[in-house]
Amino acid sequence: MIEIRLHGRGGQGAVTASRIIAAAAFEDGRYSQAIPMYGTERRGAPLTAYVRIDNVRVRERELVHTPDYSICFDEFISMNQIIANSLKPGGVVLANTKFKAEELPLAGDIKIATVDATGIALKHLGRPITNTAILGAFAKICPEISMKGVEKAIYKYFPGRIGDMNIAAARASYEQVSELVPAINKEAPKEVVEIVSGGYGALKDVSGWRVFEPVVDEEKCIGCKNCWIYCPEAALEWTANNKPAMISRSCKGCGVCANECPVKAIEMKRVEVKKK
Amino acid sequence: MSERMTRPQIPLEEGVITPGSTCQGCGAAMAARLTFKVMGPNVIRHGIPCCPDQSSKSPSTGSVFEGGGPCLTGTARALKALGRTDIKAIAFFGDGGTYDIGFGGLMSAAQRNENVFVVTKDNEAYMNTGGQHSGGSPKYAETTTDAVGPNSRGSPVHKINAAFAFAAMNIPYIATASVAFPEDLMAKVKYAKDIEGFRILLIQSPCPVGWRYDPAKTIEVARSGVQSGIWPLYEIENGSSFKLNYKPKELKPITEYLKPQARFRHMTETEVNEIQVYTTAKWEKYLKADELKQIVF
Repeated sequence: MIEIRLHGRGGQGAVTASRIIAAAAFEDGRYSQAIPMYGTERRGAPLTAYVRIDNVRVRERELVHTPDYSICFDEFISMNQIIANSLKPGGVVLANTKFKAEELPLAGDIKIATVDATGIALKHLGRPITNTAILGAFAKICPEISMKGVEKAIYKYFPGRIGDMNIAAARASYEQVSELVPAINKEAPKEVVEIVSGGYGALKDVSGWRVFEPVVDEEKCIGCKNCWIYCPEAALEWTANNKPAMISRSCKGCGVCANECPVKAIEMKRVEVKKK
Repeated sequence: MSERMTRPQIPLEEGVITPGSTCQGCGAAMAARLTFKVMGPNVIRHGIPCCPDQSSKSPSTGSVFEGGGPCLTGTARALKALGRTDIKAIAFFGDGGTYDIGFGGLMSAAQRNENVFVVTKDNEAYMNTGGQHSGGSPKYAETTTDAVGPNSRGSPVHKINAAFAFAAMNIPYIATASVAFPEDLMAKVKYAKDIEGFRILLIQSPCPVGWRYDPAKTIEVARSGVQSGIWPLYEIENGSSFKLNYKPKELKPITEYLKPQARFRHMTETEVNEIQVYTTAKWEKYLKADELKQIVF
């Protein structure tokens, strides 16, 4: 039996991906099981899902505690040790990141493969929904799943034109995924903010939720306060010189400010993930 | 009736702790932020099971769905017994807690004319649990319990006109507001805050996940809802005096409101026309009431 753990954020389709993997294994004539794990997750909050694949009927019903494979759908969570924790010795991590496998700050007896799934998703789907974009890569590094099965399963969940777009994304990631490399680091760097909760109350930090962030062009800005009043999270501070400034820990990257700016002085730019 | 508010009059200080745990582009989070900006610190907030919008800096208490009205009544009477007229009992409920499950409790609180202020963030379904049909769901909207298929075309019934249901109780103040018109919303909260008796404010707050549109378009969707007459902004005082706060010369076609939302994607032209006729007929009634400055029963 192989067990898979998926790390993602609400809205990236980690739960759908777990179903697609299970369906793909089923299409290949095997038994499978997909388990979503929900808390009070909303779109943007970190969550996990699990998959089991076996040649005989899967009788277990509990969560996966020591997976063989760990897949991460989010660029920020990919920089965090939680995706490599409690893997079986020699387990495989597939991370969505622009960095090379050797550069990731992950430690342990693991092998790492990387793919820039967010880039692929933006190119093929126009939206940062990375689930199908990473499944192609997974079909390549995991001998238990075939690309044919994944394509069949994607069509089952997204029939028609949307299915074609998703399959194009899956094929692109199948081509672009890196080789498996053993992790170099012996010890993982310490976390500054806990990724799962991101703190509570006044300490809450949602800076990892956003794929795009607002960049204000102060030359163009006319100081109308539209962006400030329409921001759901009060993430734009009104500064002394009558211009807005982003509060990094509050912004979720919804894009309302850029959409409501009458002079288009705010641009949503893709966030650069930096190494710690 | 509320007095006009301008952008520079909006207080810079926040009444809520941000960021909350809502989805990106949440309309309810905007509604909470704007409401508690004006309410100030001297309030006791009441909640019922609904989406976790912004937590306010004031003390808050929670109850069950049906318990919204009774719980508010208890707080209001306790405050009166203590002689603390400076503290207000305010509710921040969802549409499920106002339009259907909590309706009974709120209705009897309205009948007794308790000294409470109810604010409803209306996202037109039970969005917290995955988008089931509520009394707020408009006709033809696809929800997880109103499937679209050969035998079902989404929600089979029109949205409850809750404002007029409460108006029939002759309560001191009823108003509707939209997150796309923050000055109007805050002026209404400011006015309703100090009235004695039962007052209710219904805020339409779009939900990007349940209504299925791009989170960046939250305000755009809310604004087109008001401009097309789907969600008119008005105030009713003492169950009869009526004032329409936003009167465009000409209504926008409702397709502008329906189109960005994937929950209406299945609608045929006949169905869109039906909603257009329904909306225009209602709008005419509102215009007439505004002319007479009162509702004629």
